[in-house]
Amino acid sequence: MSFRKPEDVLPGSGVLSIKIRGGELSREWLAALFILPAVAFTLAILAYPLLSAFVLAFHRVTAESLIEGGGAFVGLRNFAFVLSDPTFLTSARNTAMFVGFSVFLEVVLGLGIALVINDRSVWLSRVTRALILVPWAIPPIVNGLLWSFIYNSKYGYLNALLYQTGMVKDFVQWVGDPRLALFAVVVAYVWRTTPFGVILLYAALQGIPEEVHEAAEVDGATLWQRFWSVTLPLLRPVLVVLLVLRTTFAFMVFDEILAITQGGPGNATWTLAWYTYSHAFRYLDFGVGAASGFVLALLVGATAVLYTRYVSLRVEY
Amino acid sequence: MSRGGMRISRRELLRVASAAGLAMPFAGLGLTDAQRVFGASPKPGKLVFLGWTFGKIYEGFAARFKQDHDVNVDMLLEPNVEQAMSKLISLLAAREQVDGSKVIIQSLGEYIQRRIILPIDEFPGAGAYIDQFTPFTKESLQYQGRTWGLPYFSTIWLPLYNEEKLERARMEPFKTWDQLVEQARRAKREGVARYPLLWVAGVGHEQLPGTWFTLTWNRGGVIFTKDLKPELGPGSVARETLRWWQRTFTEELSDPRSLEVRFIPAARLFNSGDYLYLLPTQHYYIVWNNDPAQSPIAGKVRFMMMPGDGRTLGFTNPYVITRGTRNPEWAWTLLQYLAGKTKTGEWMQPNKLMRDWMLGSGYKSLMLGEIITREWPRWGNIDVVINQWQKASSILEVAPAMREPWYIKWSDLINVQLQDCLRGKTTADQACDNMIRAIDEAKRRA
Repeated sequence: MSFRKPEDVLPGSGVLSIKIRGGELSREWLAALFILPAVAFTLAILAYPLLSAFVLAFHRVTAESLIEGGGAFVGLRNFAFVLSDPTFLTSARNTAMFVGFSVFLEVVLGLGIALVINDRSVWLSRVTRALILVPWAIPPIVNGLLWSFIYNSKYGYLNALLYQTGMVKDFVQWVGDPRLALFAVVVAYVWRTTPFGVILLYAALQGIPEEVHEAAEVDGATLWQRFWSVTLPLLRPVLVVLLVLRTTFAFMVFDEILAITQGGPGNATWTLAWYTYSHAFRYLDFGVGAASGFVLALLVGATAVLYTRYVSLRVEY
Repeated sequence: MSRGGMRISRRELLRVASAAGLAMPFAGLGLTDAQRVFGASPKPGKLVFLGWTFGKIYEGFAARFKQDHDVNVDMLLEPNVEQAMSKLISLLAAREQVDGSKVIIQSLGEYIQRRIILPIDEFPGAGAYIDQFTPFTKESLQYQGRTWGLPYFSTIWLPLYNEEKLERARMEPFKTWDQLVEQARRAKREGVARYPLLWVAGVGHEQLPGTWFTLTWNRGGVIFTKDLKPELGPGSVARETLRWWQRTFTEELSDPRSLEVRFIPAARLFNSGDYLYLLPTQHYYIVWNNDPAQSPIAGKVRFMMMPGDGRTLGFTNPYVITRGTRNPEWAWTLLQYLAGKTKTGEWMQPNKLMRDWMLGSGYKSLMLGEIITREWPRWGNIDVVINQWQKASSILEVAPAMREPWYIKWSDLINVQLQDCLRGKTTADQACDNMIRAIDEAKRRA
């Protein structure tokens, strides 16, 4: 096997091939060859468990049959159960609220912070750039525990702060009140995940040519106009990626729920991931757990398709 | 012989049984027969124990086992019971080795019916242990004529009060539930406490349901009859108890934070000194209240009997042998080290739990032993605990459905109903009706 000489590759033709005995590999085959290890690795790590879970979703699988094998085939009954289960519907509603609020906050806060740290005239921006990654480095379960202390209705720091500054007259049950609990988890979650958006958007801001802003400024655009008509459109591809990724992860929120509320009070913070976990590992009903997991995956997939379909990825300078 | 998929050959069983038979003359003299068969089969490469943490109760355990038997024990300890249970199922499904584990009483029925754990009756010396079980340990650990583990610890529910606070309010510990309400109203009126009552009413299988079950049992009711029919209909004790309990919240006699706290957070909340009573909690959590290192009201928290005729509930959680064991004989040895005697005849772990954590034992001889009279008084008035223990019945009396595979799911559903009711979102009638309906929903999947 030998590579063709550089002069054999016609400039601008996009042709790249490898000579092998008796012929040569086209650009497409070459690409396929390069990604083959990654595909094989992905198949081994992801596809097998996914297929296995898919099979479980169509069977009645208890702990006993999971260990011994031989769960009865039940067709779509697990999916029918999931979709008719009031707790699943409550979990879906809670998840939708969680995703909506958390992704909105992550993007807005992420963009705001990224714009600030991108501005060299803000003297604190360097410090912020260094510190912003700290929450991201905290494991989700630790973050959950940390916030459960912060929210404690008797000794929590948040209550102490609000009480001492006169903002509340009595300590608030942040996670004990069904009206507040989900939002309490949203805040804890957003605190940990916002840095991801900040870094992504900050990197994208760095890539926007300075001349574009200067041209807009010369044309008399205000600060807001420059942001709305120049910066934001140029950030669109990154925003789409951010939206897709953050929505996906928000759909799967689990650790903070486990550490802060465990689905309570009542079922106020049951989310789809918690529902899936509960059925699989608490009720030992793995078929329903798997079916619920696939419904969740479908929802995430559908949302990702919607994002990419309705928010254009193309940017033209 | 087959035990749920794990096979012991007849020859192996006979060998072990013969060894036990040789020791028969010593039977009844402190489990000597059990000790004689330690290490009767070839040593395994390692043993695996999976559980959840509680203080430092497993510190030095593996080292001691290694010293006595030259076998390593992998101690897989998860932060809480839920995660330990998930990991156990995952490991078993992956056909990994897990020899010993511990289980909560609420899950035991499902684990038995799903054949996740092995009965212990036929292991050498098991009979001598079983003979020493306390009555509700027997009831907790035996099912379908078999015994499913050795006792990890026993506990009972009873109320605690803040002696100083009660003295300041010129009150005696209440004798009836009506008197409790009167005292709470007065304490509130006189500014002694904003919320005089604190309950263990956080979400969980033992916590919120456990409190309601204990109140119901104390008032002469049950949640399920012996033939598993719910006793939650109109006029039932359980329903009226819930109605009464809800009123203590709507009248603001009970702190709404009760609905957030499980046992340890409730004990810590009680340590604020703001409350008159912490209503029924498991006895050993008083350690958190009367330990000067962690409680500003240490020494002021006292046990009291349940009101009326003093009926209460208790249970024993077991250590079990799982079907993931590669070597049942050695798993039995491990189980004895965790919940019985060591090679030298020492009740190592049971004594440690009693001495350091005030955990009750599932064995009669230990409950009558000197550790209780010597060590427990540093945490409180143990005469009350001992009296209360005499009046305790197994939690399975009030909810025999706990043995059913659908119970855990139902338990989750009733947590929601109880919380909604105590928060005033629903009435006791609606909550109980929903709980009855939830039985069918839970059964549908079992």
